[in-house]
Amino acid sequence: MSNLIFELSDVHYSYPGKFPALCGVDMRVRSGEKIAVIGANGTGKSTLLQILDGLIFPHQGKMTAFGERLSEWTHRDEKAAHRFRKRVGLVFQNADIQLFCPSVREDIAFGPLQLGVSKEEVERRILEVSGVLDIRHLLDRVPHQLSIGEKRRVAIASVLAIDPEVYLFDEPTAGLDPSTVRHIIDFIVDANLRGKTIITATHDLHIIGEIADTVYVFGRDKRIVRGGTTESVLGDRSFLEANNLVHIHRHHHDGKEHVHHHLPLEPHD
Amino acid sequence: MSKTSPKNGDFIERSILSALAFLKDATLSEEYANRKGFLQSLDPHLKTISFLALLITTVSLKSPALIGPIYGLCLTLAFFSAIPIGFFLKRTLLFIPFFSLCIVLPNLFSIVTPGEPVWSFHVFGINGIITRQGLEGSILFVVRIATSVSLVVLLSLTTRHTALLKVLRVLGVPQIFVMTVSMCYRYLYLFASMVENIFTAIKSRVGVISHHRQGQRVVAWNIANTWNRTTQMSEEVYMAMLSRGYTGEPRLLIEFHSTLKDWACLFCSLIVCASLLYKAYSL
Repeated sequence: MSNLIFELSDVHYSYPGKFPALCGVDMRVRSGEKIAVIGANGTGKSTLLQILDGLIFPHQGKMTAFGERLSEWTHRDEKAAHRFRKRVGLVFQNADIQLFCPSVREDIAFGPLQLGVSKEEVERRILEVSGVLDIRHLLDRVPHQLSIGEKRRVAIASVLAIDPEVYLFDEPTAGLDPSTVRHIIDFIVDANLRGKTIITATHDLHIIGEIADTVYVFGRDKRIVRGGTTESVLGDRSFLEANNLVHIHRHHHDGKEHVHHHLPLEPHD
Repeated sequence: MSKTSPKNGDFIERSILSALAFLKDATLSEEYANRKGFLQSLDPHLKTISFLALLITTVSLKSPALIGPIYGLCLTLAFFSAIPIGFFLKRTLLFIPFFSLCIVLPNLFSIVTPGEPVWSFHVFGINGIITRQGLEGSILFVVRIATSVSLVVLLSLTTRHTALLKVLRVLGVPQIFVMTVSMCYRYLYLFASMVENIFTAIKSRVGVISHHRQGQRVVAWNIANTWNRTTQMSEEVYMAMLSRGYTGEPRLLIEFHSTLKDWACLFCSLIVCASLLYKAYSL
């Protein structure tokens, strides 16, 4: 189909000298979709995002992006690589990795400048994205002086400045305060409404209802054990329990303590 | 009783932490650069060119009387740039000119610099003669160093380090070099904090390190751990760069916003330099 963005067939990947990271992943991503990738730690979610961003390439299996085969060889062509980078942007889990420039302004400008955007347009984008993410007052600050929440917003701004069609988020809300989490969720929902494709790897099951229409669940065997609509996957109690995806709450009611499972889409009692 | 006291045992740790604290304070603190003052208000590019001209003039002049006005100008600029003069003098005069004085000491005597005797003395059967030429040469050397150090310290105190790095690009330094230095600066703080955190974590588990051998082991772990993490992080940072379109030829954002005031300051400093050089070489 013409609106197919990514197609992965039996994709395998192993880090050098380490255990396999992905063992036969099949996945199709269409334009404008809002997808969440969930699973326990070490099940291959971050590796999948890096493969989708063309940073690492499958050792086995086939992957196409925008209808073209994606491999290390196709990325050696600078023009092809630039075309791909303009269309796909990854927000890394660790903002300290993504913010490598000496100031916030330069970090936001880095992507567009590498992709050949004119300096006037880069200046315009800096003002625009810093306004959207409410970081205009941070533009001349040094990244190491920022809080985790501010760093995360700057990291998103650095990708937003490229204005890609596809946003890949690796744990975008991990370790953030509630108001920053709200801001990031609103940004993701807004971007999707503007037609952007969103793929988010997360452990935060409570935000999935808002940031995803489709959910893929990674199992311990480092492959997708289930994919489907958010309601169908998160509504399947036995499946979630089997894959350690159920929150366990401890409560005090009238001086008595009780523990119960809590499903992501269930109202909290 | 242990042969090594606790004070000696954590000597390495205290040295490393003090070095890191100094590094953060000296390199990463931009307290004075963020103040509202005359030099802080100038464009970093033209300001650097002005200081460079003054620096070249300082090392070209051969008379302390002509270098004096530049030093006076330096102190005046420090005063109008909200830098406490006591702090500035302490930072510029305490160590480097003192050590240069120690270096130049033999130059005072006739055995190194023959010439017209100014003062002679007799100690332990040795005759010492200080010559006018030796004295003048030594004073010139120390005044030159004190003024040059003051200019450089004043520039670095009143300019944000990121701006100073960008100035390198304007001066023709290759982009890749500027970018590498910028990234080193960026991650210096991160790794300094990481080393501090490792020491705190070790302390929280084993308490105060009481023996120097244990201290050495801790430092060895720290070096190995920091090395592993920097290697891993360098790979990840490279990936983050690739992800945003980096292909080995960096393009940086260099802004150049100068006003009439910046150009006027540059013009004034060039006039000062030209006048002093003219006076020095026309006499």
